[in-house]
Amino acid sequence: MKHTALLSLSAALLASCATPKAVVNADVAVKSKAKAGAQPLQPEATDHLDDYADAGKVADPLEKLNRATFWLNDGLYTVFFRPLSKGYEKALPKFFRKGVDNVFENVKYPVRVVNCVLQGKGERAGLETKKFVINTMAGVGGLVRVSDKIPDIADIPAEDFGQTLAKWGFGHGPYIVLPLLGPSSTREFVGLAGDYAANPANYGLYFYNGNANHDWMYIPPPSNTARSMPDQFEKYDAATKDAVDPYLSARAAFIQQRDEAAKK
Amino acid sequence: MTHRAFITLLLALAVSPGICPAASAEAQAKLKGAVNQVLAVANSSGTKAAIATSVRPLLQRYISFETMTRRAVGPGWRSLNASQQAKATQLFTTLVIRTYANKFTPGQMPQIQYQAATEPATGRVDVPTTVVYQGNRYTVTYRIEQPGWLITDVVIEGVSMIANYRSQLDATFKKGGAEAVIKSLESSVSKQP
Repeated sequence: MKHTALLSLSAALLASCATPKAVVNADVAVKSKAKAGAQPLQPEATDHLDDYADAGKVADPLEKLNRATFWLNDGLYTVFFRPLSKGYEKALPKFFRKGVDNVFENVKYPVRVVNCVLQGKGERAGLETKKFVINTMAGVGGLVRVSDKIPDIADIPAEDFGQTLAKWGFGHGPYIVLPLLGPSSTREFVGLAGDYAANPANYGLYFYNGNANHDWMYIPPPSNTARSMPDQFEKYDAATKDAVDPYLSARAAFIQQRDEAAKK
Repeated sequence: MTHRAFITLLLALAVSPGICPAASAEAQAKLKGAVNQVLAVANSSGTKAAIATSVRPLLQRYISFETMTRRAVGPGWRSLNASQQAKATQLFTTLVIRTYANKFTPGQMPQIQYQAATEPATGRVDVPTTVVYQGNRYTVTYRIEQPGWLITDVVIEGVSMIANYRSQLDATFKKGGAEAVIKSLESSVSKQP
């Protein structure tokens, strides 16, 4: 083919992107018809752009037991943990709680960096280290997330062991609802155990407290659970509040969220 | 650059899936306009409870609730008669607007950063955004489709609103048919927000 013909073809193809809306609409209609003629709709699809048939799906052979655990958890949240969470929110101002969250997330650095390395993401491990150093040094031990103002480290996807197992090719396995902890899968449960072991917060933290009699303050592991409750309930409510079937909604939200995290 | 390299580059640009700058730009511009208008109206609403009512006309202009409802119900949609489809769409519209409106508080405007849009299929553009709201950062992706570049899904932190309802309503239909779908939607809508 001559150069001029190739150029004309390229120009025509590029120009097709810049056609007015009415033309684009007509084009879509023609393509849809052509597609409809060539490829019949999949049985689970409602139209040619419907790709939701498999989203959030997972094997759930223990559904009866899982549903029972889900509702037991829901009751325990309502009676016991939600009041605790509300009490924590009322007792401490938002900026203080945010600072506490920042400290615990900063301390979780080993979980993120180890999993970057296990997934062969060397550059991301470097960025995580940069973020940890900056937030610890300039952010007063992680209280202030200075990294939010630095574009290359503001939005690093947080790696964990569940994502590493996904990257290594492990599927979810059966879905399980854990007592108190809620939605999980066999793979994510193993991952969670790894995250727990690698998170320094689960061994207790020492925080510098220069103005007191003792220079170092011990922060026991349950503080991590307490401070994360408001966020956990926010996520739980987002998945269940307007749901038709809260159990299925929480399950689909969990699987989608974990699958999306594993892709990043 | 040699002629051959230039032509190869032009061809690659022309035939690459996911790169159609004009389509993405048009869809993204429409989305930005819609989001700005909705946020302005939500922000000027007197109370949190009033947001759903005040943003409803705008959302109905920019969201394809018919597409959303059809996909949320799934293949069972074909078994619903016309009045059941209309009823399901009306109920699902109320549910989606309530879910969306509940995320905002008047006087607290989120900051939104728009990222590069992608075009996963002809007539579909996905616009990823980062939303900073009340000190937290969220990834929110809007799925926009032709005709009209209307919003057909909102994906928050990787969780698609439509995929979530699909998992529930498809199961409901398989257990109890069209009537069960309508009843479950009615029951959700009637719950206290």
